[in-house]
This record gives sequence, structure tokens and C-alpha cells, in this order.
Amino acid sequence: MTATAAAADQRSRLRSALDQAAALSLRSIRTSFRNPVSFVPGLVFPLMLAAVYSAQFQRALGLPGFPEVDSFLDFILPASILQAVAFGATAAGADMALDMENGFFDRLLTSPVSRPSILSARLAGSAVEAAIKFVIILGIFLLFGASVKSSVPGVLVILVVSVLLAMAIGGVSLVLALRTGSQEAVNASFPLVFSVLFVSSAFFPTELMEGWYQTIAENNPITWIIDPVRRLVIEGWSWSDSLSAIGLTFAFAVATISWATFALRRRLATL
Amino acid sequence: MSRPVEATGLVKRFGELTAVDGIDLHVDHGEIFAFLGPNGAGKSTTVRMLVTLLQPTEGSARVAGFDVVEHAGEVRQAIGVALQDAAIDPMMTGNELLQLQSVLHGLPRSVIRRRGPELLERVGLTAAADRRVGTYSGGMRRRLDLALSLVHEPSVLFLDEPTTGLDPTSRQSLWEEVRRLNDDGTTVFLTTQYLEEADQLAGRLAIIDGGAIVREGAPGPLKAAVGSPTLRLDVAAEQRDAAHEVLGQFGPDRPCREGRVAIGLDGGSSRMADVVRALDEASIAFAHLELDAPSLDDVFADATGRRLEGALE
Repeated sequence: MTATAAAADQRSRLRSALDQAAALSLRSIRTSFRNPVSFVPGLVFPLMLAAVYSAQFQRALGLPGFPEVDSFLDFILPASILQAVAFGATAAGADMALDMENGFFDRLLTSPVSRPSILSARLAGSAVEAAIKFVIILGIFLLFGASVKSSVPGVLVILVVSVLLAMAIGGVSLVLALRTGSQEAVNASFPLVFSVLFVSSAFFPTELMEGWYQTIAENNPITWIIDPVRRLVIEGWSWSDSLSAIGLTFAFAVATISWATFALRRRLATL
Repeated sequence: MSRPVEATGLVKRFGELTAVDGIDLHVDHGEIFAFLGPNGAGKSTTVRMLVTLLQPTEGSARVAGFDVVEHAGEVRQAIGVALQDAAIDPMMTGNELLQLQSVLHGLPRSVIRRRGPELLERVGLTAAADRRVGTYSGGMRRRLDLALSLVHEPSVLFLDEPTTGLDPTSRQSLWEEVRRLNDDGTTVFLTTQYLEEADQLAGRLAIIDGGAIVREGAPGPLKAAVGSPTLRLDVAAEQRDAAHEVLGQFGPDRPCREGRVAIGLDGGSSRMADVVRALDEASIAFAHLELDAPSLDDVFADATGRRLEGALE
């Protein structure tokens, strides 16, 4: 084979790998929207919680140590968005486990598909779903009078953080799917995501917590992500907050996705 | 040119369990080769090794001329696979699945547009093309699964228990499709637990039991090798021993289900009158007496000492 022919062959192989990844991503997005049960509760629940909390805790804004905000709605905005995104993100693994249970995964593996694209398609699905949820939640909050002090740049940062967080949690769920091959096992991880979010600063500032709860919340990585994002909402634009929120979720995503890639390789090798 | 399928000394162990215990087999161009055996005999495990889903513990296999471990990618390009239980995503439509499968095989867009409708037509699913697979019947799923395995016009087709759980009509139509594909030059490797399926479709078959091949050959010669036809007698429990003794004079014991006595009748149908007379003289009342030419079930029984028929459901 001549050098140019080899290059052309490589290009066509790359193009077909991209086509495959795109087709598989489209499939995971499409099927998740055909099954509204998989994403509607993840949207409704955070909104309901926000409505209840902002009615309940409006007076908490006056507590010494509570950050300066116009309304509790502003305070809880980042938490609601990240909650909605986190709830949907485990679907990446749950859907892949379902493929394993009904055998479609085997059909994929007997096709000449590049193995990583099986994972990236699932993560792309989570990312798109996260972006859509972000737009819906933000839209509803703005409608009810919430505001983002850092304006458009801040909104874009929160969008990036949401997408990265969805991919990071999606990565964990893919690991669970690859290790267990069971949809039920993946879904069982949902309460864990739920409680990690609750022992963070998502719904209340850590300054006003006490004892062990405060210790856990202060050392919860979700707090490290939520706090800078919240400052973008209630204080205004800051490069350092933006970079630390994005950097942290990015590192988290890289870690879990690498773990999932490793888990896939292990699963294929031990079969 | 190398054979479509060639395996030497294939072994697959899962921990302590040996699922496949040293299998040698080959399939020639244009053949329909059947792997016949009961549940848990190692049929699916063998197929999964041949289609690159499992790695052999020992031994090696070449499919379409490529080693299944070293060149798994090339094997996947060349083969069509429909595994047990028609593995398809219920949330997608037949059309979408065919499109996806075509992209996964790297077919050019112009081909993809044409191939989908052609294949749906071929398996009789044109009317259901845009319905979600979740609404399909079992037979429709199998036919779609078959269509999916054909998008890239593979030279070797693997079908793992293609008709298990199907009604007789759906089974017939799938058989016809497999025959038609074979007429067009596709080599077919199928596994089945149905005697009739192997008998009807296969040019050559291997009987597998306990992870090993116990008989191999064309159905005709295999049956002929059993020799005498099988005589079966339904008799009351208290007379079974007596009947057994009488029939023992006419030929060797054959395995059969509870409540029956069976032998291989030496000399065939010409001795039937003698059998009836001997039973009558011994005052044995029998409800039912039949004589059948050797079947694949007799071949199976001859090889394993057990019956495959009736052992299924």
C-alpha cells in the first residue's frame, strides 16, 4: 500500500468511526426521549423541591452567616440544576445494562464497531439530556424571578459544569453496568447520588451547619462544585470561580470515564 | 481458499465448569451446517467463540479465513450473526435498527438507503418498518434479527437457535428464508435443539453433548448407520418386564421415555408379524405399537444413551 493510500484508508476508517459514534449517540438520545419515565421525574422533582424550599426558607435568608441573596430561589438555582442533571445521568449506565440484559450489547460487539464509541455514545446521550434539562430549569427559574448575576458568561459556565457533571456521573453508572450487567444494580446507585447531593451545600450554606454534618458537607466534592457556581449566580462573574468549577467537574469526568474505559476493556478481556 | 469455519481443539472453561471440551469442526463453502444438541450442551458457547464474543480457553478457530482472537475485527466484518432470543432494542423501529446496523458496518450512505427497504421486503416486514420493535411478535423479531444480520451481505451467517420458541408457521417461514439465503451462496452455521430443524435444513450436522461432538455427518448416512428401525411399545407397568423379555429376542434395547419399551428391530418390518405373535403368546396386552425408520433422535440416542425428543419443553 502506498503512503497516500494508507492515509486515505486511515481517513475513511476515522470517518466511519465517527459515523458509528454519531449513529449510536443518536440512538441513545432518541430512545431516552421515547421513554419519558426516564427523564420527566428528574425534572419535576428538583422543581418541586425548589418551590417547597423557597416557600419554607425565605426567612432563613435573614440568618447571620447566610449569603447575601435577593431570594432563596437564587440561592437554590445551582442546586436544582445540578440535581436535575445528576438524576438523569445514571440513565447512561442503566440503558447500557438493559442492552446487556436483552442481548443488544452482543449484537453491537459482533459488529465491527470501535469499542470506545459504545461508551462515548452513551455519554453523549447524557450530555445532550443534561443540556436540555439545564435550559428547561433555568428558563423556569428566570420566569419566576430568579436572576444570574454573572449574566451570559456565567450561564455558559454553569452549562459546561452541568454537561461535565452528567458525563462524570454517567461514567460511574457505566462502570456499574459493565461490572454487574444488571439494570437493577445500576438503578440501585440512584439513592447514593441523591444522598451525596443532600450532604453538601446544595440546599443550605455549610456555615450554618453543625458537627459531623458540617464536616461531611464541607469535604463533599459536590460542595466544592456548588459553591463557586452559586457565587456566579448570586455575586457575579469571577474567573477563579468559573475555572475551579469547570476544572473540578472536568477532572471528575476524566477520572470516571477512564475508569469506565478500563472496566469495558476488562469485561471484554475476561469473557 | 480457506474454509468459512474451521476450529481445532476448542475448549472453554468458566472457572470449574468446562462448557466446551475440545471441539474440532469445519464448515465448507455453501453448506448449511447444524449443531444439534440439548440445552447446556455447549452449542451457544461454541458459537460465541466463533463470532468473537468469547475467547477460547484453549484451541483456535478461523472464521472467513481469520483467526477469531488475533483478527476479531476482520471476522466481524465478514460474518452475520443472529444470537438467541432476537436481541433487539424494543424502543427503536425496524427501519431505525437497520439503518444503525448498516452504519455500524461502515456501508456507504447510498447503499444504506437502498438496503433497508430491500431487506424489510425480503423478510416480509415492510408494513411494520416504522413500528417500534416492542410491538412485534416473536416471529417478526426473529425475521428482523435475521435482516439485521444481513445488511453487509455476509459470506457466513451464524444463527443461534433461530426458531426456539416460535410457532410452527413462523418456524417454516424462517426455514424457507434460510434455504433461500443458502441458495444465493451464503454459508450457514446454525445451532438447534430441534431434530426436525436439523433434518430439514442441514446438509451436514454435528451432534454435541456435554461439550463434545459425539456424531458428525450428513443426516442420511448418520441415520443409516443406526441400522435397524425402532420399535416402540406402550404397555401397562406390570407387564413391562415381560414385554421387555419378549422383545429382547428381536433386537437390542433402545432408550425411550417412561412407560414404553423400545428396541432396534433386526430385520425390520418383515419381522413385525413375529413380534406381534410372540407378544400374543406371552399374553401381553399392548395399547400401541409402532415401527419407525431411524431418525436423528435415534442417532442421538445411539450416541448418548438418551433421547432428545420430549426432553425439551
